[in-house]
Amino acid sequence: MTPELIQYLESIRYKARLEHADETGVMSELEAHIEDKIHELTESGLTEAEALETCLGEMGNIKMVARQIYEAYSQGSWKQALLTSMPHLLFGLLFVLNWWHYPGWLSIVLILTLATTIYGWWHGKPTWVFSWLGYTLLPVLAVGIMLLYLPTIWSFLALLIYFPMALWWLFRIIVQTNKRDWLFSSLMLLPLPVIIGWYLAVSPSGRFTEDSLQRLDYFAPWIGLSFMALALTIAAFIRLRQRWIRVGLLTTSGLLTVALIVHYTAGRLNTLTFFGLVLVMWGVLLVPPLLECQLRTGRKISWRHRHLPAPRPE
Amino acid sequence: MVTRSDLLKGSSNSLLLSLLEQQPMYGYQIVKELEARSQGYFKFKEGTLYPALHRLEKSGLITGKWQMLPNGRQRRYYYITARGQAKLALEKSQLQDFLTAVKLILQPEPSGS
Repeated sequence: MTPELIQYLESIRYKARLEHADETGVMSELEAHIEDKIHELTESGLTEAEALETCLGEMGNIKMVARQIYEAYSQGSWKQALLTSMPHLLFGLLFVLNWWHYPGWLSIVLILTLATTIYGWWHGKPTWVFSWLGYTLLPVLAVGIMLLYLPTIWSFLALLIYFPMALWWLFRIIVQTNKRDWLFSSLMLLPLPVIIGWYLAVSPSGRFTEDSLQRLDYFAPWIGLSFMALALTIAAFIRLRQRWIRVGLLTTSGLLTVALIVHYTAGRLNTLTFFGLVLVMWGVLLVPPLLECQLRTGRKISWRHRHLPAPRPE
Repeated sequence: MVTRSDLLKGSSNSLLLSLLEQQPMYGYQIVKELEARSQGYFKFKEGTLYPALHRLEKSGLITGKWQMLPNGRQRRYYYITARGQAKLALEKSQLQDFLTAVKLILQPEPSGS
């Protein structure tokens, strides 16, 4: 294969953002098509270079072909939509039904979340795994908060070590997720501003006290509803085909949920905190694509030769 | 105004199903057949054929199978399914009604005949 052809196919592969299982087959088909076409054109008397130029021109521009491939594969089934929105529903139910009082339910939900994430992560990272992955960040956040309860000097030292480690881990997760699609990183991080917002509403000082528990009890139905709203957003996200509508949906839903938290907490979050939360939400939506741009410019084109699925015996 | 590409876009599923109803084909063969049978009228960006085929496959109207050729190369052949045949029959009938209606307007029968 010539460098131009590799570049063409690699760009389509990159922009189409398919699951690995689909990617190999799709790219192999395109490659076989191009080889057939070039063979025919050279047979008719064109040089290799002319044949390649004609062929790529007739294939269509990279952006259009990649977009159509993306849209052919992006829509998930209703089952996938349910599976992807499930962690939001579970956490929503914990609060709506007041199950958060019972450590047993909390543990079950957390263990289920962790187990599902690990299973999905080691089984080809399907689309649904990223929303579960977002909730595995909760224990990391909780440990960070618990470190605040150590004596001041120990707390300071622990945080000094723990936060860079946690951020590094988060960075690695985002990089890995971005290899599939930066949109899934945003999807994964979407509950983060919502959780931070509610945490600040029940514990304005940053420390969880008896008063915080009372406030948590009071806000529980609204907390549950905000997670349910996220569940609906994610279900719609999975069913949509067009990428730009998906981006719009995540942006609108994220910002609206933050606005609703501020509204329901009736003055508990001041203007500065509100803008801080909006900033975090924009971070969730902008950091993954920016990171992807940075990583892509430093990445060399790599074309792995195809490994086709085994042909069926006739 | 309706362009040729609009017409192709609107009827691409029927055209693909119709070709595959006659025999299983792979992508490049479909492009060649479509161009030859329409005498060059239907010509489109070839890279967009595969998303169309994969959409049909996801809808269960066709199915694709990799096959090894004697020269060692592999190709993905597409077959129409029973569901695809039913869909094609319906679309053919609708298209026939549409063409009859268009013909009645474009070539009206002389009055009094």
